[in-house]
Amino acid sequence: MDRLMNLSDLTVERGGHTLLSGLSCQFNAGEVVVVLGPNGAGKSSLLLAMAGLIPATGTIELAGQPLASYGRDELSRSIAWQGDLPPTEFGLTVSQRLKLAAGEDAKTIGSTAATMDIAPLLQRPLGELSSGERQRTELAALMLRNTPIWLLDEPTAHLDLKHQIHCINMLKAQRERGRAIITVLHDLQQAMAIADHLILIDGKGGAEYGEAKRLFASERLTKLFDAPVITQGAVLVPDYGEMK
Amino acid sequence: MMLRWLALFIAVAGCLLLGMATGEQWINPFSASDTLEKTILWNLRFPRLLTAFAVGGLLALAGAWFQVLLGNPLAEPYVLGVAGSASAGAVTGLMFMPESAWVMSAGAFVGAWIGIVAVMFFSHLGPNRMLLAGVVLAAFWSAVLALLLALLPEQGLFRAFSWMMGDLSHSDLPAPLLLLAWLIALTCGLLLSKSLDKLLLGERHAEALGVDVKRLRQRLLLLASAVTALAVTAAGTIGFVGLVIPHLMRLLFGSLHRAVLPASAIGGGLLLVLADSAARTVIAPAELPVGILTAIIGVPVFLLLLLRRN
Repeated sequence: MDRLMNLSDLTVERGGHTLLSGLSCQFNAGEVVVVLGPNGAGKSSLLLAMAGLIPATGTIELAGQPLASYGRDELSRSIAWQGDLPPTEFGLTVSQRLKLAAGEDAKTIGSTAATMDIAPLLQRPLGELSSGERQRTELAALMLRNTPIWLLDEPTAHLDLKHQIHCINMLKAQRERGRAIITVLHDLQQAMAIADHLILIDGKGGAEYGEAKRLFASERLTKLFDAPVITQGAVLVPDYGEMK
Repeated sequence: MMLRWLALFIAVAGCLLLGMATGEQWINPFSASDTLEKTILWNLRFPRLLTAFAVGGLLALAGAWFQVLLGNPLAEPYVLGVAGSASAGAVTGLMFMPESAWVMSAGAFVGAWIGIVAVMFFSHLGPNRMLLAGVVLAAFWSAVLALLLALLPEQGLFRAFSWMMGDLSHSDLPAPLLLLAWLIALTCGLLLSKSLDKLLLGERHAEALGVDVKRLRQRLLLLASAVTALAVTAAGTIGFVGLVIPHLMRLLFGSLHRAVLPASAIGGGLLLVLADSAARTVIAPAELPVGILTAIIGVPVFLLLLLRRN
């Protein structure tokens, strides 16, 4: 497998507070790495640091070269980042939003929009859409970025069940095409469905990287989230107590 | 869309003709016979209309840039205090050289650049903090202006107030120079238009799409402030154009800047030409401050369009 990105002894700080330190791992083509951890642990900040959008100490290498040696434009051709929903004040339409992501290669906008179930919305302003529709627009924008690395911050947020499944299947298909996908998720079943490797961030500065098979264990996740996680059949699920 | 562009160009041509014809005396531009009428048309009205067109266009361009730069649709060219510092500079000039014809423009230009330098200290801040810094700076310059006006001899007050409400009758900058500035500003804007479009998605998304946001913000701040300084120097503080014209043009031509910027540059010019024509005519031979008429003409048009679009 092609190694696309390498982190070595990475430390991420925000506002003078160390979120995670000493993280070392690598990301290969055709692999999904899921980042798990409690709120505020630094999952989103890790992705931002990997995208070169916030500073971090340690080493981040992209195709063997330090991330800092790349210009913004060069980085955008290698890494696509999906984060918060963009603002809607200025009346951009779905079609315009997708064109901004597609750049010169705008031919596939129609088919990509159809894939994400937003073809009928193309001429609508983003501000008129529901959060779920806007999230699907962001996923379509992501699909139009032909970059080898995807950094996704909760790609299934705001989505209904049908589109959550659709999103996870889309990520699986992108993995098959050789994309390296690093994604923050909160749903354990979704994580188990796609993760090859996991990064666990505990919110106390610690971070652990390893094979998903090894790290998916109820005791480990119970400790990570400070909440009960139990095994139910072949999957790990939160323990909500007695069901009605 | 082509029809809308055509309508905009026809409206500009129509308003320029109307502006040539109206004033204290109605003159048909196509049949001006005697020398006096030709002098009024070509030496007085025409340069003034060109000045109005260029200043209106510059203000609308600056407004569009400030709105994107600050990520705030309520932003306008004067939001960061440049108009306040320019006004303070103009009144200072008037205080020391009350007889001079050009002193208010020179003072405004110096004052505007003092305001720009002050704003540039905050260019590294995010949009919200920058806006806050700008609003506080604007309040400071307002206080300085109020102090200067309190100290200004009574005979200078009328000139100061009419300048502060927008005055195209005493522009010291030649119209061709302002038109050249209009063209340069529009060209610079169009060169930045793709990056500006990406900035509509927010700073993070723009950076992720390859925009060097820090550099873009600095360039945009300098460009928008310089354009505002030039417009204020030429015609005093004319409100409303820079706030509403970019929104109006977004409603008509969409949000992408390759359309919004030229449409704003033309639409701003159109509004100010119309307002100035009315200002020269309504109570002729006296004149109304043009800033009053930009609001009186522009507000109903904008609100009507907003309601229809809704």
